[in-house]
Amino acid sequence: MKKAFVILFILLSISGCKKTPDIPAGDLGGGQIFDPSTYNPAKYLVSVSNPTPDATQAQVPVIIACHGYGATTFEWDEFRAWSAGRTDYSISQVLLDGHGVTYDQFKNSTWHDWQSSIVNEYTKLVQEGYKNIDLVGSSTSCTLILDLLHSGFFNNTATTVHIFFVDPIIIPSDKFLSVVGVVGPMLGYVESDGAPGEEKYYYHYRPQETLQQLDDVLDVVRGELQDGITLPKNVYLKVYKSIRDPTADPVSVVLVYNGTHTSTGGNIDLDMIDGDIHVFTRLDLVPGVTAQDQANQVYAFNDITMRIK
Amino acid sequence: MKKNAYLLIILSGICVCRAKAQSSILDVGPRVQKAIDLYYENGVSLGYSSKKLMPDRVYFGFSYYTSRLGTAYHSNAIKQDNYLLSAAYYFRRNHIIRPLLRANAGYFSADYGSPIFDMLPSKTMLLSVDGGLCFQTRLPLKISTTFGYNLITSNGLNNVPGTIYPFFYQVTLSWNIFQHANRTALKGI
Repeated sequence: MKKAFVILFILLSISGCKKTPDIPAGDLGGGQIFDPSTYNPAKYLVSVSNPTPDATQAQVPVIIACHGYGATTFEWDEFRAWSAGRTDYSISQVLLDGHGVTYDQFKNSTWHDWQSSIVNEYTKLVQEGYKNIDLVGSSTSCTLILDLLHSGFFNNTATTVHIFFVDPIIIPSDKFLSVVGVVGPMLGYVESDGAPGEEKYYYHYRPQETLQQLDDVLDVVRGELQDGITLPKNVYLKVYKSIRDPTADPVSVVLVYNGTHTSTGGNIDLDMIDGDIHVFTRLDLVPGVTAQDQANQVYAFNDITMRIK
Repeated sequence: MKKNAYLLIILSGICVCRAKAQSSILDVGPRVQKAIDLYYENGVSLGYSSKKLMPDRVYFGFSYYTSRLGTAYHSNAIKQDNYLLSAAYYFRRNHIIRPLLRANAGYFSADYGSPIFDMLPSKTMLLSVDGGLCFQTRLPLKISTTFGYNLITSNGLNNVPGTIYPFFYQVTLSWNIFQHANRTALKGI
């Protein structure tokens, strides 16, 4: 009997490892649809569209907008649309490495790869002479940026870096992520519950390898928060968190708030948002959007752009 | 003198026999618990088996375990407390290695440290099952290790605190203080 279970386990594991989803051509990851920033980076990245700013342009704040796990630049398109015509700041929409491309490229990416895109854009903008660089992250991007804060990446910034987190994830709402290391290889991939239309902008099929990477970075940053992250002198951090969230458990904000302090030992700024949408700043394609949801989005956009001045 | 010695031996024998056949058990000891992918929450466990109800097979217990004595000790981890009542069945009486199954119900409470989080769920019922092995030595010492599953966890929307994870394992070292008391009583004769 014991032998039968062992054989069954091995068979399941092997069958899981070989399993690749049949992705429709019209879906992200299917090999035909890619994030538009991959073939038109100048439209999305300030470092590409204006690599040689003059003295005035260099002073205009640049907000690096970073999306979450499994997402694409689509996640911050509404912020860009809302900001149309604004000249007091510009937006650089980063595509996390491994995202917005094929399923296999996503599958082979690590959380360090995802983070590198944020580092690269920030570093390029600094090298090009931009003086006021801010960041807004959603979901897993917040986790990646917290790790950068812990590593001292922003320690030597000359001007204030304003960092904004929208629905940061430290504790997932789906608690079965905790056993992805065991269950993942048996499954090969997991299907996400996306609304109609989202399959063009979000990976519907998530390789178990990437879920393990997600679990890893959540563990790492949770440990960093437990030990305590002190913001450098010139870094400002504010968090906006939905009080109900099907992806990033709301308790994540407690860990971020209690685990992060300003250089003078104070608390970070925080807004608890009355809503139940994960990344409440992205409402496009979300079913059942209410007037409160729209008000939450506009509030966050206004608050962020007001604070970077 | 000889008569008294015989009487003493007989009495001692009766006491030991009575102790073996009829003693209830009260196991007390530290408990170390780890949620898979989350906190260490440590504390104390009590387990009671009545001499009148399937002695040394059916146990009723109480456990208190907390992150304050685990991951939250001197860290920013959430301070959370668990109070658990349990009913367990231990198989293979009088063997050294004994499988056990247990059902638990209790109460969980988390302290988020600031009133700004008052709108987040911080308390809930606990409902779990666990099973594993108990190593029962010749001493009144038990070492039990189990793997368990919490039936009530959060999904981000259901008003359950977010730091209860589904799977956990625990190790409890316990000492039967009733047996210790019996031996003390025997020594006093």
